[in-house]
Amino acid sequence: MSLLEVRNVSKYFGGLKANDNISFNLEKGELVGLIGPNGAGKTTLFNCISGLHPVSSGEIFFDGENITKLKAHEVARRGLARTFQVYAASGDLSVEENVMVGCFMRTRSRAIARARASEILRDLKLQALSHYLVSELPVAAQKKVTMATALGSEPKLLLLDEVAAGLNPNEIEEIMAAIGHVHRDLGITVMLIEHVMELVMKVSQRVIVLDYGKKIADGKPEAIARDPQVIRAYLGERFVREHVREAK
Amino acid sequence: MEAIKSALDFSDFPRTDMFIAGVVSVFLVCFPIFPHSSFAMATMIQFLMFSLYGMGWNTIGGYGGQVDLGKAQYVGIGAYTAAVMLTRWNVPFWVSMPMGMFFAVCWSFIIGYPLFRLKGHYFAIATIATSLVLKDLFEVWDFVGAARGLEISPIKYSPPDFLRLIFKQDVYYYYIILGFFFLGILYVNWFRKSRLGFQLRSIKDNEDVARSLGINVHWAKVKTYAIATAFVSMVGSFHACYIKNIEPEDTMSLDLSILIALMAMLGGAGSLWGPIIGAGVLIPMKSYLKEWLGARAGLVGIDLIIYAIIIMLVSAVEPRGIWGIVERVRGRKAR
Repeated sequence: MSLLEVRNVSKYFGGLKANDNISFNLEKGELVGLIGPNGAGKTTLFNCISGLHPVSSGEIFFDGENITKLKAHEVARRGLARTFQVYAASGDLSVEENVMVGCFMRTRSRAIARARASEILRDLKLQALSHYLVSELPVAAQKKVTMATALGSEPKLLLLDEVAAGLNPNEIEEIMAAIGHVHRDLGITVMLIEHVMELVMKVSQRVIVLDYGKKIADGKPEAIARDPQVIRAYLGERFVREHVREAK
Repeated sequence: MEAIKSALDFSDFPRTDMFIAGVVSVFLVCFPIFPHSSFAMATMIQFLMFSLYGMGWNTIGGYGGQVDLGKAQYVGIGAYTAAVMLTRWNVPFWVSMPMGMFFAVCWSFIIGYPLFRLKGHYFAIATIATSLVLKDLFEVWDFVGAARGLEISPIKYSPPDFLRLIFKQDVYYYYIILGFFFLGILYVNWFRKSRLGFQLRSIKDNEDVARSLGINVHWAKVKTYAIATAFVSMVGSFHACYIKNIEPEDTMSLDLSILIALMAMLGGAGSLWGPIIGAGVLIPMKSYLKEWLGARAGLVGIDLIIYAIIIMLVSAVEPRGIWGIVERVRGRKAR
């Protein structure tokens, strides 16, 4: 049984087809990239899966259960966590408190939430920052805090929306290590939206490509990088010249 | 057990804060011993009452960021429950006060459930409307004395009556409301660190993020609104026994709703000490201004002008109020 099953999902905003009949499966333990040009409907798809947007048609199954009609908090409680692209984290709360909000999904006890939060922060090498306000941190650390907060809810599946956007190469390395830790050591299935191709192509076991709301490709990173449709829609000739040849 | 420990734990505040809080507490406990005018005593009781109103407002309005301008309706429910039950059926305060809280909380669910579908200004306006509607209903409802209101005549009782809260000297009222005041602080101190408190602060920041962390945003707001309501209703019941003469115009007026919110915002919405600081600044100012400028110089309505200036100052200088300025100077966050 697949962990996540998206069946013929469409999402319309008025006349705009943000998601057009998209289907795919995620198996337990996979790490899948979701790429596509701006406006392709990647974030909308995340919003549909996590229950923030009602879908216009189609069905979504998570862990064998039909979650299409569930509200966002009900979806989250079943073990599907996500991060957000624009939002960093609650500016009013410290790093540790932010992560505790996530932990409070699974416990009522403040002591347990706190212990869980410091454990997660240690894992993600954020413990030195735990008493800072999130708004005081650099972007890279903020992005890791949003990941840590999502992890606090002990998810089975984690959807990451552009965690590497706006980071420098060193910071991207760090985030990649963090994603690797989540996937490998914690055994959490991960799906990530990313524009930083170096990251997606390197960490993903499989890549799904959206363009104008439609799924145009789904396969191993090497195959995706050679797919003429994907190159035309998104990657561009230059990326392929520089990276695919190198890989050979 | 963990809850009680958390309520008594102020360790995340710096020592200087705790020292100041200790000095203020000792002063409050000892205040009646010092020679004082009855006017000063009345002002102190008002200060404690409004601190409690503000603490209640602060749970939903400060930590939750849901600006509520209709708290007076719950003051009214608390006050009327206590007054009606006492005058009609001789029910003691310690029974009628929880009953009032119960009625107020029920009403808050009826109001809160649909109203929290609204956001921001729309929510604020809707709370004003429901409060005014309830006031109008009470003004024509004969059972509760309509617009004339209700009077608790102290002659019928033999003060000091601790069951019915009928006293001749204000000092009794002072110590009772002071007890509520300390309990209120402990409750909010627990609340701000509780699961609900954390969830609410997350909601204030970004509701979609809160939802994706498994928080039932609507229900968390409704629940907290009920907590705020219970606070306000409790003080409303006290108000009825203390003032002994209540009418819709003073227990349920828009002025009162605005004053409650204003004080908490002036002191610092979303912080433990904020509403107390706000009440400490505004209540003495209001009483003395009314006394001097209003009664002596004939400048009626001067207090309203001052409120307007405060609203403008808070929004322009520091949205987190006086406490926000303190924290900015110290470079720390709101607590």
